[in-house]
Formats: sequence, structure tokens, C-alpha cells
Amino acid sequence: MDGTFQLALRLIADGLVMGFIYALMAIGLTLIFSVLGLVNFAHGEFYMIGGYVAWFLVTKFINMPPLLAVPLAGLATFIIGAVFDYLLLQPMHKGEIERPQEYAILITFGWAFILQYLTLAIVGPWPQKTPRYFDLPTLDLGTLKLTGAMMKAGFIPISATRLTAALISVILLVILVYFMNYTWTGKALRAVSEDKQAAATVGINPRRMSTLAFGLGTMLAGMAGAALVPAFAWVPQVGVPATTKTFVIMVLGGMGSMPGAMIGGLIIGVVEALGAGLIPDAIRAYAYRDAYGLIIFALVLLLRPTGLFGRKS
Amino acid sequence: MKRSLLQWLIIAVGAVVMLGVPFALGNKPYWLHVAIVAYFYAILASSWALLAGYAGQFSFGHMAFMAVAAYTSGILGRDLGMTPVQSIIIGTLTSAVVGFVIGVLCLRLRSTYLALFTLAFSEILRLALNSELDLTGGPNGLTLELLVDTTSRVPYYYIMLGLLIVSLAFMYWLANSSFGLFFHAIREDEEAAAAMGVNIVRYKIMAFVVTSLIAGLAGAVEAHYIGFITPNILIIAQMSIVVAMAIIGGVESLLGAAIGAIFVQFMLELLREIPMPASIMPTLAQMEGTLEAFGLSVGEHGILTNAWRLVVFGFVLILTLRFYQNGLLYPIIDRLSRRPVLAETVAKRIQATEVES
Amino acid sequence: MIELDVRRVSMSFGGLQALNGVSFSILGNELIGLIGPNGAGKTTLTNVLDGVYKPTGGEVWLNGQRIDGLPPYEIARCGFGRTFQVTRAFRRMTVLKNMLVPAMALHPMARQRDFHDKAMEVLEFLTMEHLVNDYARSLSGGQQKLLELGRLLMLDPDIIILDEPFAGVHPRLMGKIYEYIRVVHEQGKAFIIISHDMDSIFTLSKRLLVLNFGELIADGDPNEVKQDPAVIEAYLGEEEEEEGPVVIPPGRLVAAGETEEESDA
Repeated sequence: MDGTFQLALRLIADGLVMGFIYALMAIGLTLIFSVLGLVNFAHGEFYMIGGYVAWFLVTKFINMPPLLAVPLAGLATFIIGAVFDYLLLQPMHKGEIERPQEYAILITFGWAFILQYLTLAIVGPWPQKTPRYFDLPTLDLGTLKLTGAMMKAGFIPISATRLTAALISVILLVILVYFMNYTWTGKALRAVSEDKQAAATVGINPRRMSTLAFGLGTMLAGMAGAALVPAFAWVPQVGVPATTKTFVIMVLGGMGSMPGAMIGGLIIGVVEALGAGLIPDAIRAYAYRDAYGLIIFALVLLLRPTGLFGRKS
Repeated sequence: MKRSLLQWLIIAVGAVVMLGVPFALGNKPYWLHVAIVAYFYAILASSWALLAGYAGQFSFGHMAFMAVAAYTSGILGRDLGMTPVQSIIIGTLTSAVVGFVIGVLCLRLRSTYLALFTLAFSEILRLALNSELDLTGGPNGLTLELLVDTTSRVPYYYIMLGLLIVSLAFMYWLANSSFGLFFHAIREDEEAAAAMGVNIVRYKIMAFVVTSLIAGLAGAVEAHYIGFITPNILIIAQMSIVVAMAIIGGVESLLGAAIGAIFVQFMLELLREIPMPASIMPTLAQMEGTLEAFGLSVGEHGILTNAWRLVVFGFVLILTLRFYQNGLLYPIIDRLSRRPVLAETVAKRIQATEVES
Repeated sequence: MIELDVRRVSMSFGGLQALNGVSFSILGNELIGLIGPNGAGKTTLTNVLDGVYKPTGGEVWLNGQRIDGLPPYEIARCGFGRTFQVTRAFRRMTVLKNMLVPAMALHPMARQRDFHDKAMEVLEFLTMEHLVNDYARSLSGGQQKLLELGRLLMLDPDIIILDEPFAGVHPRLMGKIYEYIRVVHEQGKAFIIISHDMDSIFTLSKRLLVLNFGELIADGDPNEVKQDPAVIEAYLGEEEEEEGPVVIPPGRLVAAGETEEESDA
């Protein structure tokens, strides 16, 4: 019992760590959904590109402080996202597109396709590894031990890369909360997500806000990728499971609810970790790791489409 | 009448061309293979167009139906010793059943949620196929018995072409019948259609069953042609290609989607290698390093585009979606197919009122 | 004999009670106006009758058959037709196809050709026969409204609910819609007309139902209902003590039953 309990705790810790990163991505997608009213099927691709940008910067510019790669990757994905929105999504608001709902699905789907193959063409299919952003200082505080590559809180080990990624995510989430609640732009974004027309009457330009929201959403995805790229071997296909996972979280937390996305991210992270670790048939359990979230997803869609905290868009 | 004569002429010419292809390409089996795969995609694209463009159900689970049929067929052949024909039939029926289930589950889901749900279903299936090594052979896939025991591609060409023609004919019949009327009404405005008495439950489910059956049949036959199937058929990129083909050809037109698919498939093949004059080849060989940095490589007769041809394809898709939302072939097809059916009725009524007055 | 029986119908969404114990009956081809302030529940009632919502309480009986909870397409087949506040023609289908949808929905075994005559008849009545092969989206707003009305006739319903048929309608078109209602009513169909246009309601209807906050607060002769203090309060928010003719905004005084000259201008 004790062994399983310990294992469970370790898995939960693992899950929470990943959960923060998932939350970051999910909040980006939720921001896009709540302001633009559409699901960005290319979200995972922005995550993938963010990772590649960070990899490129870290491996080619050795003298640059590695952590700088994260905001720079975010900048890159922000620009790509904003340009995409401006060129291809804005026409929807100007009435140039018939059947906008279909169009939104298909065009983001198509964009995902382009981004993936463009990356494949430029970078190649071979997995790329990124070195750790920084080594943890060596500390021994009794139950809390830090060494270069690992932190150990009691019996729970957490790799430095994941810890860094989680910390980055938490910091970004805090900044985001501050931004959304205490800055004019943030409040304007929230206004547009609640009621576009009302926001327009108080002088907020909904179209500019749309582009901004899309760019911010993709920026968050890119930074999540940049945060996580030292932890995994990166290939152009990493975006795909990221997209589906983020959907799952968004639907679980409630479409359009940012707190829901955050909590959903943590829940999925933990569910995944527990599912992969606790089910007896280890190999199969691990292979189905992505499926647990998907199954929850399918169930939520069918039984409670508004999710835990959601509201209809 | 002139219009339908033109239509028939085009179909006749097209038929002759397609039937005669093997004789022209007899000594280039590679291109026969491309044609076979093209017809396969044409069936997938046009059946997806029926589901999405006609009935308005933008499902991303289409490849999953195909995979269900193919894998069922393969497993039955391997474990129960069925002949390909038998297992294909059962595989197809299985995919129709799965289509029915998905159709029922999707009844209450609107566009985005439907897309998400079917995407999830496809992914779950892919994961399951990858993991159940004993049943499915996992990532290495399943081998299937060949449908026709021959090394020549020609029989398969006619089989796939035949399937394409039969399924197109069937779907056209469907589209022009009251089914098509209801599908269209459902796509236009589901609530209004229901208020007008259209049994949206029945017809939405039917849309799924019919299209999953067709996709399954094509998938099972294709699998028995290639000789194996892997879960990679379910990667989202594959679904994207089918979707893109339908969009480029015209998502509301079955023939458009089919033609779009064939066109795209051939273009993708043609774009594999950009031929270069022989004189430049040595220079290119020297530049191989630079080229490779950009993802290109040097082939025997020119530059190999590798993944770039798909990027080009992606751009064509985006541009088509943005500026030709109804497909590149739409203007032609619309002109040819709009039938003023009421010509007789109007004439009769004018006669009647003339008689009265 | 058409028989609609609405028995203590209630509808609540979460905490919001949209309809509360609404009861009324229709016998034969009545021409009923349904009015009430915004948010009173008129469209909700229509949605409940039409099957879009399943009522949380009460029953609805049509011609001796219980219809509450049935899906809309079943109820349509039982003889119920409705329009929507916002015109919902099938935009990318031709006018003809629009007309054929309900006809074929009711007779799936028939051929589309069998209904061409009837469709043309209806279109001629609406003076739209020249538009028969045009796509619905190329029609003007008024023409689309007429198309919706024509489409209804192909359904051959017993009861028709028109939800705001006069809203934003060009005066020239008003006459056509009045005519439509009169002719179809004479053919034996019952109408429930929801409208804020008091002129039209008082001109056309022989009976008035008034909803307020989800409750039926009046049911009867339009003249009497007009003077019902509860109705006045619902619209004006305070009790009127005056006797004599009462003005219910925004219309003029019209006595029900008086035929008003239908101006074409």
C-alpha cells in the first residue's frame, strides 16, 4: 500500500508539473475561442514552432542566455498568429466569407497542415534535442535536494527541465492574470469576449482585439513549446497530440472559461500521469496515455458539452 | 437539352480516357499505381463531400471508417482464413455499423463540436491500433492477402475505377433524390428543416452510414491491393489531404471532389521531382549540401522536392478556401448542373391561363 | 375540426421560469393574436408547441394526440407549421427546392415532380412564380418572407404560428401578407400571430392572447382585452384609472372586426 501510495504521489506531482504547461496552452486556445468564437485547429502547431524556434536560438546562439529563447519564441509565434489572423480570419468579419463557421474550422485545419509540412521541409524529420536551460544549483535542505539535473522533494523526483517548464508556465500564467484583469488591453479583450457589440460602442475596436487575441493565444502556445522543448525530442509532428490534448482540456474546463482551462489542464495532467503509471499493464497503459484525455473528452462532449465551468459562446 | 448533351459528351470522353489509360501506361506501372491511389482518394474525397458538403456534417473521422473496414478485413483474413472478397464485405459492413454509432453520437453536436469529437474518435482509434500489437500488428501494421493474385496492376486499376464509378453513380442518385434535398436543407438550416418536417435524426444518421460504407469499401479494397495497412493512415495529415482534395475540387460537388482528388494526386506525384536540364545536374550535385539545408535533395533528373510539394499543396488549399470557397471547379459545375426543371410545368400553366382568358 | 389543447404548460431554463402554467384551447379555424411585452415568452411558447423545447410541465394536445416532447419534424407532420422571427429560407437552394422540402418530407415516397404544380400554384398566389428557379439568397428580404409563407403551405398544416410576420416589412408587402392570412384562414386553417404591430393584430385577429412574464394574463375578444387592467399594466407598467378608449402603444384606435383599408402605399 505504501509503495503504491508513494507511486501515486509521485505521479500526481509529475502530472501537476505537466498540468501547468497544458494549462498555459489551453488558456491560449480559450482566449482565442472566447474572443474570436472559433477553435484554432492549428494551436498545437504553434506549440511545435515555438519549440523549434527555441531550439534554434539555443543551439545556434550559444552566448545568449537560454531562458531568453522562451519570450523570443513567443514573439515569433505571436507574429505568425497575428499575421494569419489578419490575412485569413479578419475577412470573416468583413463579410467576405460565406459560411464562416465551416471556414474557420477548415482554414485553421489547413494552416495546421501548412505549418507542419513547412517545418518538416525546413528542419527535417529527425528529432532535435535541446539542452537544459539551466542547471539547478546544488542544494541540500534535508527533504528538498537540488542537483544540476534534478530536484527531489522527499521521495518525489522532478527533472530540472520539467521543473523549469512548470515554473515558466506559472510565471506566465500569473502575468496573464494580471494582464487580463489590471491592464486596459486585457480588460478590453475580456469585454470583447463577453459582448462584441457592446465593446464596440465604448470605442474598443473588436477587429484589432481579435487579431491581438489570436496572436496572444498562439504566443502562449509557442511559449509552452519553448518551455518544454528541452524535455522532449522535437519532431514536426509533436503539434498534433498537443492540439488534441488542448481541445480536451478546453472542453473539460468549459469552452470560453479561462479558470476552467487552468483547472482542466491540471486535471488532465494528473489523469494522464496516474493512468499511465497505475494501470498494471505498463506498456499498454503508457501507449494509451493520450487516450485517457480523449476518452474524457468524448464523454464530456456528449454528456456535458459546457464542461465544468463553461458558458456558451 | 444542349446542356445535358454537353454533360454527356464530357462524361463519355472522360470515360474513354480513363478506360484506355492502362493501355497508354502499360509499361509504366508506377503511374498506374498513382492512378489507382488517385481513384481511391477520389472515392474518399467525394464521399466526404457528401457527408460534409451536402449534409453539412464536417466530420474528421472519415479515415477512421476506412481503417475500420481495412483492419477488420485483414484480421478476418488472418485469423479466420476468409477470402479477400468475403472479408472485404464484412469489413465494409463493420465500418457502416461504426458509422451508424458515430452518427447517433453526433446527433446533438454542432459543427465545431462535431469536428472535435470525430477528430478525437479518429485519434483514439489510431492509438488503439498502435497499441494492440497482438490484434493489429501495432505500428508495423497488418498484412493482407492480395485481392487479385497477379503482379500486374491493371486488374486493380479497373477494380478501383469501377468502384469509383459505381460509388459516384450511387451518390449522385442519392443526391438528386429526396435524400439530397433533405441533406441540403439540413446543411442550410437544421432547425428550419426540422420545422418543415424533415426527419433530421434519420437523415443525419443515414449520411454517416452511407458515407462510412463507401469509405470502408474503398479502404478495404485499397488495403488488399497494397497488401498492408498501418495506423499511419489515421494521422491527421491524411485526413487533411482528403479534406483538402474535396475543398479544392469543390466540397459541394461530388464530381468536383473526385476530380479534385485525382488532380491533386497527380500533381503531387508530378511535383516530386522538378526536372532540370542535364547540363545543370553536375552543378546541382555539388550544391547538394546547400539544397539539403532547405529540405531539398538532388535526384536523378532534377531536384527532389520532398516535403515542399505538400507545402505547395497546403498553400493551394488555403488560397482556394479563402478565395474560391466553393472549389476551383465550382463555376463550371454549377453552370452545367443547374436544371430549370420547371420549363414544362411553366409552359403548361401559361397555356392553361391562356385558355382560361 | 382542428383542436389544439394547451394544458398548464410550463417551461423553465435552469432558474429562469419562461412559461408558467399557460393554458388555452383552439377549436376550428380561429385567428388568434398572441401579444405581450418583450421577453414575455411568446417565442418560447411557440418553440414549446413546435417541439423545439420539451416543456418542463404541462401537456399539449393536437387533434387528440399528445404532442409535447415530440421532435419538431414529427409535430410538423401532425399539422403544425411555424415561421421564425428571422427569416430562415434555405438560402443556397432554389425557391422551388425550398418549396419541395416540406412536401417531400411529408410524402417521401412521391417524386419531386408531383409537387411542381402545387408549388407553382402557391408561388403564383404570392406573385413570385417568376423567381421559381432563383436561389433564395438572391431574393429580397420581403420576398424571402413570402417564400417562408409559401413553404408553410406546402406543409399543409392545420395550425400556423407566424412569429413577427410584419416586422420590418415594406408597406406594399403588408397587403400581400394580410391577403395570405385571410385566404389561408378561409381555407380552414387556424392562425396564431405573434406581433408587436398592434394595428395588424387588431385588424386581423378575432381573439387575443396576452402573455406577460410567462403567464397568460388575458384571453378573449380583442376589444375587451384591450381594456383589461392587467394587460394595460403589463404594457405601461402602471394601472390606468381612466375609462373610455384606451390607447395601447404604438398603434391607433382600431375596433376589431372593422375591416381596415389596406393601403398599398
